[in-house]
Amino acid sequence: MFELQNVEKRYPGVHVLKGVDLKIGDGEIIGLVGENGAGKSTLMKIIYGAVQHDAGNVLVDGVPVHFRTPRDAMQMGVGMVYQEQSLISNLTVMENIFLGFEKPFIRFGAINWKRMSEAARKQLRKVKLDINPATITSRLTFSQRQLVELAKVLALEERVDGKLVILLDEPTSVLSKDEIELLFSLVRELRRRASFIFVSHRLDEIIDLSDRIYVLKDGAVVDVISADEAQIETIQKKMVGREINREYYRENRQIPYNKDDVLLELDHVTVAGRENDVSLKLHAGEVLALVGVEGSGREPILRTIFGMRKPEKGTVSIRGMTVRSFSASQSVSHGVGYIPRERKIEGIASGMNVFENMTLSQMKNYSKGGMLDIAAERELARDWIRRLSIKVASENVDCGNLSGGNQQKVVLAKWRSGGSEIILLDHPTRGLDIGAKEDVYEMVRDMSVDGVGIILVADTLEEAIGLSHTIAVIKDGEIRKWFNCQPGAKPSLYDLIQHMV
Amino acid sequence: MNGGLTYTERMRRHFPWITLVSALLLVGMTDINFLSPENLLNLATDIVPLLVMAVGMTLVIYIGSIDLSSQSIANMATVLTTISLPALGVGSGLLVIAAGLLFGAISGVVTARLKVPSFISTLAVGGIALSVGQFASGQQALHMDAEQRKHAFGWIMGTTAGIPHELIVALAIVAVAWFIQNRMTAGRTFKAIGAAEPVVVASGIRVERYKILAFALSGMFAAIAGLMFSVRLSGGSPTLAEGFLLPAIVAVLVGGTPLTGGVGGVTNTLIGTMIVAVVRSSMLYLNIPATGQQIFFGLVLIVAIATTIDRSKLRIVK
Repeated sequence: MFELQNVEKRYPGVHVLKGVDLKIGDGEIIGLVGENGAGKSTLMKIIYGAVQHDAGNVLVDGVPVHFRTPRDAMQMGVGMVYQEQSLISNLTVMENIFLGFEKPFIRFGAINWKRMSEAARKQLRKVKLDINPATITSRLTFSQRQLVELAKVLALEERVDGKLVILLDEPTSVLSKDEIELLFSLVRELRRRASFIFVSHRLDEIIDLSDRIYVLKDGAVVDVISADEAQIETIQKKMVGREINREYYRENRQIPYNKDDVLLELDHVTVAGRENDVSLKLHAGEVLALVGVEGSGREPILRTIFGMRKPEKGTVSIRGMTVRSFSASQSVSHGVGYIPRERKIEGIASGMNVFENMTLSQMKNYSKGGMLDIAAERELARDWIRRLSIKVASENVDCGNLSGGNQQKVVLAKWRSGGSEIILLDHPTRGLDIGAKEDVYEMVRDMSVDGVGIILVADTLEEAIGLSHTIAVIKDGEIRKWFNCQPGAKPSLYDLIQHMV
Repeated sequence: MNGGLTYTERMRRHFPWITLVSALLLVGMTDINFLSPENLLNLATDIVPLLVMAVGMTLVIYIGSIDLSSQSIANMATVLTTISLPALGVGSGLLVIAAGLLFGAISGVVTARLKVPSFISTLAVGGIALSVGQFASGQQALHMDAEQRKHAFGWIMGTTAGIPHELIVALAIVAVAWFIQNRMTAGRTFKAIGAAEPVVVASGIRVERYKILAFALSGMFAAIAGLMFSVRLSGGSPTLAEGFLLPAIVAVLVGGTPLTGGVGGVTNTLIGTMIVAVVRSSMLYLNIPATGQQIFFGLVLIVAIATTIDRSKLRIVK
């Protein structure tokens, strides 16, 4: 039996897990659900030893344990089947299965491949995979690799005393219907060997497979539901569980956009690696939210519009002009600005000051013959520090030392001051506190008033609903449903989730 | 507000000049003549080719890359200058500058477009440059005609008010590099690439072009270093600038431009080169044989890299 008692985790400025209790009996399958940012992934990481909790206890068969690394956890029978597959693709299947645990096969310093192969075959039988263990992993299909990964975790069985606990992180997201069925029947069969924690956005699957369902919200378990009694709608309500506050998203400032002024059009665009096509239109003053679960294909659409990916088919046109060469610099010169999700990696150059960051995308406007007009740069920075009330001592401060909210304002100022008319917001409020979020909402409204078209991938569904004029629900890389979001007639969360999962 | 800057981080910025002053005082204590103006002036003039090479190297290290071809390009430059002097006169200078730009640009293209790590691309280009020098010189030391040299490059050799023109030219070159780095869009972009390359890409800047430019400039400065060295020694040979590479890299790193780039710059390298000069001449005072110098510089290099790199920028080191 595996148990978490009152587990706490804090990161600087955020309380991620607030006293989580969780219990898994032998052979039990539990489901774990929650919105993005509810603390699911942190909780999983604590369970499999990638992250250490600050307070509370982790008990295996009633005995407190402390996992410092995933290897510690594996030695106590806790293993993870990763969503991003963790197999090393240029090694063979058996090498992957026993990676880091080759010791029993070593004689006189050399690996006895025959014995390893036999042992690997035995593990593969557990997951009903009939392949040669000496196959190079990259030759396998995605679902085969997932089963190998499961076999790798099941190989712990022979090494530990107690029962196994296996985490499945979104295991179905890229599987076909048949493959999902196969995986589920396998998991059910394996119950006598292990208990499972199953994380998924697809609530129907969660209800189908699990015995009990833990609902996580804002870092706490809000309910534990027995799967027999569970219904998709009730779980959804518990996952979200708060009122939409109209004022919070500045809905009173939402004004209709100009339907004749098309800034951007995607016509049957196929994004590399996916078989789908996306068509959409963005108008001046419109906020268009792309809504979907993690991995549904929202980011690739944004990156295609920004020119960082080249579409395989279809046309992108900006202000009626077809885009022919795809590069970020082309898009920027056509007035597209991109506020990336990874602010610290792609958004802010730490080690550079406020004005250097603001003019990075528009140095042409602040130079003559390659020579910078630093006085004008400073002037611009001071102006925008005032306009967005950025909290800095001066324009000379290193942006790496600013708070997340102020960094985001600098990134916004960079594109706004450069006159970008199409702004792509990728999780613009991620990791910001409430005050900073409200500032961002205010800026979104300001931009709409100025006729800027915005494509938004929001941090939460409420944010998408609250801010947008139009919502496109995306699933498996395709737009499944359009919603109109006029104030007073906004769709509900439940309307959206139906089409997302 | 200087946010999370720790005490050591703030001190790190002042470390180079403190090192320089302490080194000067230390050597000065063993022999006070070391600190005499003439001696210091000689010392400074002596390292002019190294300084020019290190300044070019700085631009490449500033973007987080490395240029190992500088010494070979300088070698090639000494040969090309000497060979073309009779025919081209002062134009031989332009020829080697163009050659340096070309070889640097090749390194840049191979690094930025073909994604070959800079240490290997510049090593390869350096090999080519070395061979060009060997081939052109017929593997032997060449000499300039005194009259031709004076006619074409006499202006580098003289002194004004006791200050060698060579030193003035070198400082002018440093000033040009400083201007590029601090006052031009190219220099700003170099800094941004060193500080956060993904941000530069996401800002719509064609990063590859600027990388190629940085390598081309480094090649050019290396060629100028070779040119000045060959004028000083009145000749050229494919091994003339041997032993420059390590001190040049040391000068950049000790000056405070870490291998990960983004901070430091040419003024740091000016100080770093002076540190190298002081250390090198102190070895003479301490009777350390010249053959042992590279051992010392190798050790200093390791220490300098280890203490200055920003490990948060390095995920994997291969």
